[in-house]
Amino acid sequence: MVEIQDTAPTVAKPSEGSPTHARRTVIIDLPRSALAVGSLVLAFLIWQFLSTVLFDPFLIPPPLEVIRTAIPMLMSGEILGDVAISMTRVLVGFTTGSLAGIVTGVLLGRIQLLHDLLDPIIELLRYLSPTAMIPIAVIWFGIGELSKYFLIFWGTFFIVVINTTAGVWRTPVARQRAAECLGASQLQIFVLVVIPSAVPYIVTGMRVAMASSFMSIIPAEILAADSGIGYLLQKSSMLLQTNRIFVALLTICVLGFIVDRIFRFFVDRVLARYMSFVSQT
Amino acid sequence: MLRVSNVRKVFESTRGTYVALDGVSLTISDGEFLCLLGPSGCGKSTLLNILAGFEPATAGAVMSGDAPITSAGRERVMFFQDAGSALLPWLTVEENVRFGLRVRKMPKADWQPIIDKYLRMTGLDTHRTKFPSELSGGMRQRLQIARALAVEPEVLLMDEPFGALDAMTRRHMHAILLDIWQRTRKTIVFVTHDIAEAISLADRIGVMSSGPCSVITKLIDIELPRPRDLTNPKVALLYNEIEALLAPDLARIAEHA
Repeated sequence: MVEIQDTAPTVAKPSEGSPTHARRTVIIDLPRSALAVGSLVLAFLIWQFLSTVLFDPFLIPPPLEVIRTAIPMLMSGEILGDVAISMTRVLVGFTTGSLAGIVTGVLLGRIQLLHDLLDPIIELLRYLSPTAMIPIAVIWFGIGELSKYFLIFWGTFFIVVINTTAGVWRTPVARQRAAECLGASQLQIFVLVVIPSAVPYIVTGMRVAMASSFMSIIPAEILAADSGIGYLLQKSSMLLQTNRIFVALLTICVLGFIVDRIFRFFVDRVLARYMSFVSQT
Repeated sequence: MLRVSNVRKVFESTRGTYVALDGVSLTISDGEFLCLLGPSGCGKSTLLNILAGFEPATAGAVMSGDAPITSAGRERVMFFQDAGSALLPWLTVEENVRFGLRVRKMPKADWQPIIDKYLRMTGLDTHRTKFPSELSGGMRQRLQIARALAVEPEVLLMDEPFGALDAMTRRHMHAILLDIWQRTRKTIVFVTHDIAEAISLADRIGVMSSGPCSVITKLIDIELPRPRDLTNPKVALLYNEIEALLAPDLARIAEHA
C-alpha cells in the first residue's frame, strides 16, 4: 500500500467559482455596502443641488420633489398597480420565452440537421428587437396583455436559444466520452451530462434576457398599452408632469435591481454547484 | 485480450487526407501494462481512441477478446488527461463515483461498499463531500481512477493522464497506479511521450514513429523489478536505447518547429 498524502489546496481559487465561494457573495460586506449607500446619498445631494441652483426644476425635478410626488402615488396604490401589471407581463413573457428558448437551444445543440435548418432563420430574426416588433404585435394581438407577452417572449427567446446552444456545444468531449465509457446511454449522457454542463451558459443567457425584457416592456407600454409603468411614463409626458416621469423612471431602476438580486440569489442557492467552470487539471 | 491487426486510420478533411496510422499491429494480453511511447502527433492517442471505440479504424481489425470493437464497451474505460473536464464538476467526489454505478445499473445495495472501497484505495475517503474544483490536480486524477475502477472494467486506457501534473505529484501518481495495478491486475494501455515515465511503469513499451503513416517501430519488453530507479545502469541503458530510436523523429520535429 502506498502512502497517499493530502495535496489539496487549502484555499480554492476564486476564478473557479467553487460553491463555497459563490455562497460567500451573499453575505453583506459592511464597509462596501456603507460605501454604496454613501455613493447614492452623494448622487442625490448633487442632483438636489444642480436641479435647484443650476437647472430648471420643472425640467429636472429635485429629488425631494420627486419623493413628495411618489408618496401619494405609493399610498394610493396607483404606482403599485402599474408595477404589478408590468412585472406580470415581464414574468409571463420571460418565463415562456426562457422555457421555449432552453428546449429549442438544447435540440439545436444536439441535432445537427435541425441546427442547419433553423440557424439561418434565427440568425436573421434575432436582429428584430422587440421594439421593432411592436407595430405588428399590436395588429396581431391588440393592445392587451397578449401583445406584451409576445414582445417579451420574442426578446427573451433568441437570447436564450443562442446561449443554450453554445453551452450544449461546449460540453467537453472528454466528459461525454468518459460518461459513455462508464456505461451511460446516449439519453443519459444528454440528460445527466450535457444539459447540466450547459447550465452556466443558460443562466447567463437568462440574465441578459431579463435585462432585455426590462428594456423592451417600457417602449411596448409607451406605444401600445393602457396600463403599466410605460403607460404611466407616456401619460405623464402628455400632461407635462416631469415629477411623475421621474417617479416612474426611479421605479424602473429599483425594480431592475431587485429582480436581478432575486435572480442571483436563486442561482447562488439552487444552481451553485452547476455554476463552476473547471477545465484544466 | 486486445488485438490490433493492420490498423490504418485516415482523416479526411477539407484540407486533404491525413494518414495517421498505417498498418499498426499489436496484441495486448490480459493484465499487461503496456505503454505507447512516441513524439507528439505520432497517432498514439488516435490508436487509443480506436481501442476505446470512440473512432472507427479506416481499415484493419480491432478486437476485444473475440468481439470486434465498434463502440465504447463496458470492459474498457478511458482515462483523460484533463480530469477537470472528464469529471462532473457539479457532483461531489462521492457522487462522481456513484454516477458510474448508477448508469451501469449496479444494484443499489452494492453502491456504498464499492464507493468506500475505491475512495479508500485512492486516498480520497476523507474528501467525499468536496467538489472537483476544490481538489488538487493529483486528487482529481485519483478521483478519475476511483470512478473508473468502481465500474470494474478489465482494461484501463490512459491518455497521458499525468501529463499536466508537476513532477513530484506525477511520481506519486505512478506509485499509486502501480500499486493499484498490482492489486487489481487490470490491463493498462498507457499513452505517454515521456521515456522515463514509460520505463518506470510498463511491462512492455510500444515505440511509435511520428506521423504521418505512424507505425509501431519496436516493442520492448522490460523485465526489471519495480520500483525502477532511473540511475540503475540497466535502466539508463534502456533509456538511451529508446532515445536513440526516437532521435530521427525528434530531429525532424525540431526542424519543423
